[in-house]
Amino acid sequence: MNQQIEPFLLEVQRPSRYTGGEVGQVVKDRRDIAVRFAFCFPDIYDVGMSHLGMKILYSLINERPEYWCERVFAPWEDMEAVMRRERIPLYALESGDPVREFDIIGFTLQYEMSYTCILNMLDLAGVPLLQRERGDAIAPLVVAGGPCCCNPEPLCDFFDLFILGEGEEVDLELMDLYRRMRDAGAGREAFLREAARIPGIYVPSLYEVTYHADGTVEAVTPRDGAPAVIKKRVMTDMDRSYYPDSVVVPFIETVHDRVSVEVLRGCIRGCRFCQAGFLYRPFREKSVETICRQGRALCEHSGYDELSLSSLSTSDHSQIEEMLDALLQYTADAHVNLSLPSLRIDNFSGSVLEKVTTIRKSGLTFAPEAGTQRLRDVINKNVTEEEVMRTCRIAFEGGYTQVKLYFMMGLPTETDEDIIGIADLAQKVVNLFYDMPQRAKGKLQVSISTATFVPKPFTPFEFEPQTGKEEILRRQAVLRGAIRSKKIKASMHISDISQMEAVLARGDRRIGAVLYDVWKSGGHLDAWDECFEAQRWYAAFEAHGLDPAFYANRTRPYDEVMPWDHLDYLVSRDFLVREHKKALEARTTPPCRERCAGCGADQCLGRSCF
Amino acid sequence: MKDYRIVFEKTGVMRYISHLDLNRCMIRAVRRSGLPAWYTEGFHPHLYLMFPLALSLGAESLCEVMDLRLTQEVPETDILTRLNAALPEGLRAVSVGEPQHEAQDITGARYEVILQGEALSDLWEAFLSQEQILVEKKTKKGRKEVDIAPLITAESDREEGDGLHLTLCLPAGNAGNINVSVVVDAFEKYAGRPIFTQCVRRIKIFCEDGKDFL
Repeated sequence: MNQQIEPFLLEVQRPSRYTGGEVGQVVKDRRDIAVRFAFCFPDIYDVGMSHLGMKILYSLINERPEYWCERVFAPWEDMEAVMRRERIPLYALESGDPVREFDIIGFTLQYEMSYTCILNMLDLAGVPLLQRERGDAIAPLVVAGGPCCCNPEPLCDFFDLFILGEGEEVDLELMDLYRRMRDAGAGREAFLREAARIPGIYVPSLYEVTYHADGTVEAVTPRDGAPAVIKKRVMTDMDRSYYPDSVVVPFIETVHDRVSVEVLRGCIRGCRFCQAGFLYRPFREKSVETICRQGRALCEHSGYDELSLSSLSTSDHSQIEEMLDALLQYTADAHVNLSLPSLRIDNFSGSVLEKVTTIRKSGLTFAPEAGTQRLRDVINKNVTEEEVMRTCRIAFEGGYTQVKLYFMMGLPTETDEDIIGIADLAQKVVNLFYDMPQRAKGKLQVSISTATFVPKPFTPFEFEPQTGKEEILRRQAVLRGAIRSKKIKASMHISDISQMEAVLARGDRRIGAVLYDVWKSGGHLDAWDECFEAQRWYAAFEAHGLDPAFYANRTRPYDEVMPWDHLDYLVSRDFLVREHKKALEARTTPPCRERCAGCGADQCLGRSCF
Repeated sequence: MKDYRIVFEKTGVMRYISHLDLNRCMIRAVRRSGLPAWYTEGFHPHLYLMFPLALSLGAESLCEVMDLRLTQEVPETDILTRLNAALPEGLRAVSVGEPQHEAQDITGARYEVILQGEALSDLWEAFLSQEQILVEKKTKKGRKEVDIAPLITAESDREEGDGLHLTLCLPAGNAGNINVSVVVDAFEKYAGRPIFTQCVRRIKIFCEDGKDFL
């Protein structure tokens, strides 16, 4: 444990966030270590410890005896105050050593609103925020991976390099290169030039961005032999891909307090709003045998009594029923609850439900995303009202009384009719419950939750403007007015955060200065509603002569150079344009398994996906 | 089916985990240990663990007690070995036996306390010699003043390099419970300056007759 922090631990909430010492943590002897990696999650412990990617990469790196990966999280406000007051630098949990002493400081970019938290963590660590101010010593390197690396341009000022795609191979290649060049006495610049040759590594300082007079990007030009286009990395065989058999077991209850086995990567659905559905292509699944072996090992080594099947759409596994049968054979006897967080409505069969309910009965969550069939066709959420009703009926018959329905607001082509459709759909679910003679005992509650739609890169809606705040507020009022039943509870997301998310998602390098100012004026945990202050953001944009609407609320022509055009996530621009045009005509695209839509992601497999 | 009472230490980093977190941590440790734990019947079976006396966050203990029910008899040394192999550093089972007492038999506990500061000894003795030591206690009905002077048994105090070392007995258990922090807060108020508690360590849980709770 970090000794400096100990006298102050009882001043803060949940002190075991800051102590380390959990079962499953990896502690090594510093003297045996060639490269130390600080895996930084830019949010608090409770959130970061729920993240599957970190668990995979933590164990992967620590499998190598000469490398040591440790965990670092952001302190909550109370602890940050103590650290600043007592001048305690940000430290890693396993050794308690200051992060600035590490070879590589690696952040995971999971959501845009965590960017200011990254700056704050670097500052707490005592590492210069700006890449160009870090000097030519090779360490510490500040790197990032994760889904938001698909457009890391707003963060280019702060990072040495970004790792595109899946990290299981490339992270180790990067560490190997670092070790070799550091031992040969190389400096930062020389290392970065060499690192840029590794497929999947994007070194932003090797690219110059020029802009048109109207503020759009003119060109991104590489120098010093850096590749013109950087392609994301993909693990082609999920059964052979590294997966940990043990994890760090936190003392406090985290957001997802369970072990997870990843059952598949990618998604066959092609929902047009969903960035993950395009970023993680192609679709690859693990065999039932692998899933069972990994799930069992995780439960046995951790002592957890809940196993979650993790993916974007678990019921799209081609052998879902066999998988559940095989898993239940183990979990029932071992007193393990099986949870399936990502089930889809349309192929949610009674027998699957039965298998899950033999273990645990709680609320059900569905995401129709839009209130009318027309709009669901626009976004390619291929779910019909009949399917929603059929699934709810099965659920009610199975004893469920709570249904959560997730929707988005501000989707392309949305009208008031679509908004009222949300209330109507919820009402139909209420009516269905009371029309059922054999309905479950207990109080019915239908919750509808609406988030503001945020257009994201590498989706067919990357060309779309985000609906403005005033209009979203008006639509929220329309929805509230359309709800008749007291059994329906509606919650709606704040739209200031959504607009900033939209700016960061499709922002360019000029946003870096804005982020710096927001951090400087106190934005440290902007992903948290209670810490986010819109005023800081608007003031910073104004100070730099930038307009959030230019990034968030503008229609982008198909031939515009996007800030991320030099990054290749395997899905082609042609495909995205095709999908966008179909969306505007409310024409759907079938799931990949039925018919290939030609997105281009199969190029990495050297065969078709199915 | 057989009940075992396990005495364990909670030291070092482990003093920063709350009672609720300790419960979860122990459940997982028992599951990892492979001991034949007994699960409750019913729709949501859960592993049966019982802690007769909670320990406040921040305190160490050499004598925490946990009751574990197994589906069959297991040699006590096996229980110790298997449990200790599954426990994180700072939690260590020290003995296992059949429960001798009921939880409600607990009447008090003994603590070692180290208060940081120089020349606290006289102040401490003056504090203790007061006729009354009134502290505010939050109850369900609101706040009320309680005199804790008769409830504190101060067994020893001595000055050492790192501060004032105390040995205290305080009421514990169902009939009434006083945290060390309540006493230190009252002392702080009496002294009129902040006093840093460097260490609180529970060293004994006892019954009415003064014998160890076992």
